Amino acid sequence: MSYAYLFKYIIIGDTGVGKSCLLLQFTDKRFQPVHDLTIGVEFGARMITIDSKQIKLQIWDTAGQEAFRSITRSYYRGAAGALLVYDITRRETFNHLTTWLDDARQHSNSNMVIMLIGNKSDLESRREVKKEEGEAFAREHGLVFMETSAKTAANVEEAFINTAKEIYEKIQEGVFDINNEANGIKIGPQHSPTNPSLPGAGGAGGSQGSGCC
Amino acid sequence: MESSDSDNFESADEDFEFEKFEKGSNTTKHHHPVPKSDTAKAAILIPKAPPSTDVNQNKKETSESETLTPEIVNSDKSKSEGSLIKDDEGNKQYQTKAVPQLEVAAKDTVKHDVEIEACDNSRGSNVTGDAQDPDDDSENLWNEGEGWGVDDESDNTAIPNVQGKEKMEASPKTAPIEEDAWSNEGWEIWESDSKEIMIPNPAKTDNQSNLDPKWKGWSNWGVSSILSTATQSVSTLTSSVSQGLSTVASTIESSIGAPEPAELALSNRAEKKSLPAEITSSDHNNKNSMGFGLSNIGSLVSGVSKLVESTSTKVISGGLDTLETIGKKTMEVIQEGDPGLKKKRAFLNLEGEKPVLSQVLREAKEKAEQENKARQEKHFAKKVNYESIFDDHQGLVHLEALEMLSKQCDMKLQLLFESSSGDALMEIQETLAQVKELCELPNEEDEEQLSLEELKERLASAVKELDVNITYDRLISMWEETECWLNNVNLSICDENELHQQAVETLAQLTAIAVEQFHKAGELLLIKDHHSTADEADSLVQLTTTLTSLIGIAASKFSDKMNCKAVGDSNKESVNSLITNIFYEAANSSSYIQDAFQLLVPVIEMGAV
Repeated sequence: MSYAYLFKYIIIGDTGVGKSCLLLQFTDKRFQPVHDLTIGVEFGARMITIDSKQIKLQIWDTAGQEAFRSITRSYYRGAAGALLVYDITRRETFNHLTTWLDDARQHSNSNMVIMLIGNKSDLESRREVKKEEGEAFAREHGLVFMETSAKTAANVEEAFINTAKEIYEKIQEGVFDINNEANGIKIGPQHSPTNPSLPGAGGAGGSQGSGCC
Repeated sequence: MESSDSDNFESADEDFEFEKFEKGSNTTKHHHPVPKSDTAKAAILIPKAPPSTDVNQNKKETSESETLTPEIVNSDKSKSEGSLIKDDEGNKQYQTKAVPQLEVAAKDTVKHDVEIEACDNSRGSNVTGDAQDPDDDSENLWNEGEGWGVDDESDNTAIPNVQGKEKMEASPKTAPIEEDAWSNEGWEIWESDSKEIMIPNPAKTDNQSNLDPKWKGWSNWGVSSILSTATQSVSTLTSSVSQGLSTVASTIESSIGAPEPAELALSNRAEKKSLPAEITSSDHNNKNSMGFGLSNIGSLVSGVSKLVESTSTKVISGGLDTLETIGKKTMEVIQEGDPGLKKKRAFLNLEGEKPVLSQVLREAKEKAEQENKARQEKHFAKKVNYESIFDDHQGLVHLEALEMLSKQCDMKLQLLFESSSGDALMEIQETLAQVKELCELPNEEDEEQLSLEELKERLASAVKELDVNITYDRLISMWEETECWLNNVNLSICDENELHQQAVETLAQLTAIAVEQFHKAGELLLIKDHHSTADEADSLVQLTTTLTSLIGIAASKFSDKMNCKAVGDSNKESVNSLITNIFYEAANSSSYIQDAFQLLVPVIEMGAV
């Protein structure tokens, strides 16, 4: 599948907050109530369209377990976007956010777009973290914030796509050097970097899932 | 002051063209550089009609110019104008009849103008055609010009000799009439050049300062693209001039920029004449400045002045002859494939932006179409593209992640090295050497045929030995399916391309799974508490050899089928190339797997130390 850009994403956060489910919902549009623990890192990919350009999101879904922490850190490098996920029904996952954020900031490039996600918004009755708290944390740390539900698919699409839009804007502003792959952006096969403003000929592709693992 | 100057001009002009120039002394020439240039401008403009009058008018009161159409210019208005027209006349007459009627007075202006008009018109026609009109005086002028320009060979031979010398030295070599033509032409060019030269010159004469308004007019024009074009062409010109004629000619041909204006001025003039009453003051001024600016585009661009300054000396030393030829060539180039100079006018934005916009759109569309086509081709090719299938099955990204892990381990090992010393360091190095030894892959390419059961067995024992939670179930089931497919494939239905595609897909998928499991193994080994390095290394070597031989088996099974296809098939060649491709991709697969294994070595080493 041809694309104008490829963005590398990482999904991070405590174990069990629903990282893999978010990915599955985004790539395959389905929900798996019981999910195997992720070993190290798993991958997903999907095409999206921004500004009539095909963009391939290559998503690295990291293991949340503490044991894998040192391994997953080494995968942060070269990510253009990060989804930092907590579980609104488990306050400790919210409390660990600073650690995750520090980790992410330390091991990735400074321009990485970070989206804070409070997952499991469908479980309103068991909510432990108020939406306002998430918003405040995001504001304080300069993140974009969203509450999602991998189960109902609420805001899942938006979370991934809005992050991509922000990355795309940064490219347009010249913040990201698209020729430096350490920024987590690769240029698609047919697109020369000298002509980023040329409208993609296709643009009709929309969002067909191509996740496969 | 002005009048005297203009007087000087006239005289200078005459002297110039007929005495100083032809017989000329260098000193006289140099004495009158400024007047010359002005007259020269006039002269230049004259053939191109409108600008000359415009120039004069500009010099004089604008009010006058407003009321007066170029033809009706008073003798009072400017002697210089008279002289200009005279020049024009002189040229014409001269060329046609070879009679130097230089003293045509300003009174005759009207008449002259008419003539000039005719001249202009005929020029216009010439421009459209290829400048071969039989009768017209002006044409003759033109033709001569053309002749000169075209007469490259003679020019070439003559001019090099003259280069660096004064023009007069050159002129004697040509016939008298031609000489005149030459001198005229030469002046035209010389003028434009002298203008260029003079622009940066701080010591401006009155005449020059008179030029300033036009300059401003020109710059107000705001055709930035012209500026850049002009800059380019000027630099090309100047640099070429110093090199010699032949180069010059070709260079100019390739750089069309500067000359256009002159032609534009011509047509401008023609238009103006047809509608004399409609000329408002601003309009007039505009046209004046335009005409002037255009005819001298190369020199008038203020941004160029510095460049000109630096190069002017070169130009002078290059010789007038070169410049002449440049002029001729330029004219040719201007007209080439652009009848009526419509394109050039459009380029100069004189005729609105429509053509430009449509051009842009057309280009964009063409580009998009091209991309589309490329995309389609790519898509078609992609069907059997090993790399993209491998990528689709996350093989590449697993390999990338494994690489990151491997680097991380390397860095840690490096740190360990640096922090250890003495015996500890020796010990570490020994351990690492042992690990490397354990991780040597066997060299022999055993073409053993593994049955499905053997494959399962080997993989299972290797995984067990490795003692981490990885599984090759997916790989095994995939291979089962493939074997099944191969055993049942109906070769009369399945063509060789389909077979080939299936082969490549199988290879890519098998490899992707293999790499993925290696990556997983690496991650799990890193978080494992207790290591048995020898077992790990042995297991991974075992896995690697098993997987690569599986790849080999797959490739040979597919190529067997392909060979069946090739027998009795007319396109044996294409089948053979497909078979070659299968083995090529199989080699690719094996090297991916072996690379992945090598990336695991630092991981094993980390466990060992």
